Amino acid sequence: MKADGTIVARKLCKSFGSHQVLRGIDLTVAAGEISCIIGPSGSGKSTLLRCVNGLETVDRGVLRVNGEDFGYVEKDDAYHAVSPQRLAEQRSRVGMVFQQFNLFPNMTAESNVMSGPVLVKKVDRKVARERAQELLAQVGLAGCGHKYPAQLSGGQQQRVAIARALAMDPSIMLFDEPTSALDPELVGEVLAVMRDLAHHGMTMLLVTHEMAFARDVADEVLFMDEGVAVERGDAREVLANPREKRTQEFLERVL
Amino acid sequence: MQELQAEHKKRITPKRPRDYLCWAAAIAVVAALVYTTVTNENYGWPVVFSYFTTDAIIEGLLLTLVLTVVSMALGIVLGLLLAVMRMSHQAPISGLATLYITFFRGTPVLVQLIFWFNIAALYPNVSIGVPFTDISTPVDVNALMTPLTAAIVGLTLNEAAYMAEIIRGGFASVNRGQYEAADSLGMTGFTRLRHVIIPQTMPAIIPATGNQVIGMLKGTSLVSVLGVAELLNSAQSIYARTYQTIPLLIVASLWYLIMTLALSVPQSMIERRFSRSTRRPAAVATATKESLL
Ligand SMILES: Nc1ncnc2c1ncn2[C@@H]1O[C@H](COP(=O)(O)OP(=O)(O)OP(=O)(O)O)[C@@H](O)[C@H]1O
Ligand SMILES: [Mg+2]
Repeated sequence: MKADGTIVARKLCKSFGSHQVLRGIDLTVAAGEISCIIGPSGSGKSTLLRCVNGLETVDRGVLRVNGEDFGYVEKDDAYHAVSPQRLAEQRSRVGMVFQQFNLFPNMTAESNVMSGPVLVKKVDRKVARERAQELLAQVGLAGCGHKYPAQLSGGQQQRVAIARALAMDPSIMLFDEPTSALDPELVGEVLAVMRDLAHHGMTMLLVTHEMAFARDVADEVLFMDEGVAVERGDAREVLANPREKRTQEFLERVL
Repeated sequence: MQELQAEHKKRITPKRPRDYLCWAAAIAVVAALVYTTVTNENYGWPVVFSYFTTDAIIEGLLLTLVLTVVSMALGIVLGLLLAVMRMSHQAPISGLATLYITFFRGTPVLVQLIFWFNIAALYPNVSIGVPFTDISTPVDVNALMTPLTAAIVGLTLNEAAYMAEIIRGGFASVNRGQYEAADSLGMTGFTRLRHVIIPQTMPAIIPATGNQVIGMLKGTSLVSVLGVAELLNSAQSIYARTYQTIPLLIVASLWYLIMTLALSVPQSMIERRFSRSTRRPAAVATATKESLL
């Protein structure tokens, strides 16, 4: 089982009906690298991210995650969809953090974090509980394990969601605007957890509007517009001196 | 500082004439009702008490309870099947379920009951058998469709249509993000359903089902027209002999009232627990009484 923490996409295409949302995206994220996707609303950032853990299926192009074709196997001259079990297994190695947290409201914070290991990996409950407590401590929520999501602030919920994704020991973490639904004073605590993860060598692909965070932490920035990767390069380079006109315009608007 | 002392003074809203008037009117109505129930001998209270626990009434009561439980249980099972069909992505399947639900919700249950009782007029003989073989048994529909069978079939088929909509509503109340979160952890379809989705449908489904049970309890009185000796029919059989119509209808009504009140206590507890406005987290957790881990 290879889980080398890389993402490679070549000429990735995706349509919803007649609406072409991804038009031949190229993307390379090396192991341990932090890559940020930025771009205007509707440009396909979420769709790209969701393709990487199979929440959307790809129409055309190559998508290799953790060194193997994702969701499909190449046979003869076509890609064949893998079985649901195989897809679930591939997904379990990619953690996803959603804008709206999506914690399970019927479970405590601790049970949320344990849910992946226990229900998917069949890890012993006692072991899973200890690990969950470690992870909650890691995201600064030691002692909050017994609380239900509705009893936690947005920032706390998002940190539980990060812990829940980490509990599966993923080799890649995806973040889709993890701080966009948060009150401004809560953004910092979530970014701190992500910064900590980045320093520990996790491969991260994230969509964000936090340009300061991208500049500080990201290795690479990908600017998308209308389903096209317009500009890609070193994070500080792109953010400071964008080459493309569209990137310049976008950055002027958001900075 | 004289004026600061005023903070301890009571604030008084004067009662208006209309407040007294409302009380007076309500008391007058209740008094009149009590007066007439006590003094009007046609109520026949002694008769009510003498028949309240006679064997025929108690047997009718038990049959009412059996009909409620059986029709409700079968209705939930069939309703679940219909809900699953209705949510299917296969248009013909969901179309069939929609047709069923539209039909059974759109016609009076009393008509449905009489219809099932008379189904033999439509299909006098049906053979049940394995297709493409000689194995088959003819069934005499007339003999099969006793009043009791017709009652259970009618109540069940009607209830299933309502339960299907309730169950579908429960599933519709779960956010799409919950499916995606479960998927992103690598859960398979069954695990996702069992541990993530179904527990979250319960706050919507359980209180509504409780209401259905209470409705069903009263609805069983309709099958009296088929001659099934449930509570109302038992009361009717007695007053057909004794002509004490009103007292026996009171007997039946009191029993219905006792049963619905008995059911409404747990029902209101359930509703408070699952109330969607407050959405206390524990409610969702205990919905299936096993908060997973
Ligand atoms: N399931 C879907 N069905 C149909 N259209 C969709 C679906 N998901 C996304 N789209 C469309 O695809 C386009 C890109 O959506 P996407 O969510 O990827 O944009 P985004 O860059 O993440 O935008 P935002 O910054 O607002 O989150 C949008 O026009 C959207 O309407
Ligand atoms: Mg988005």
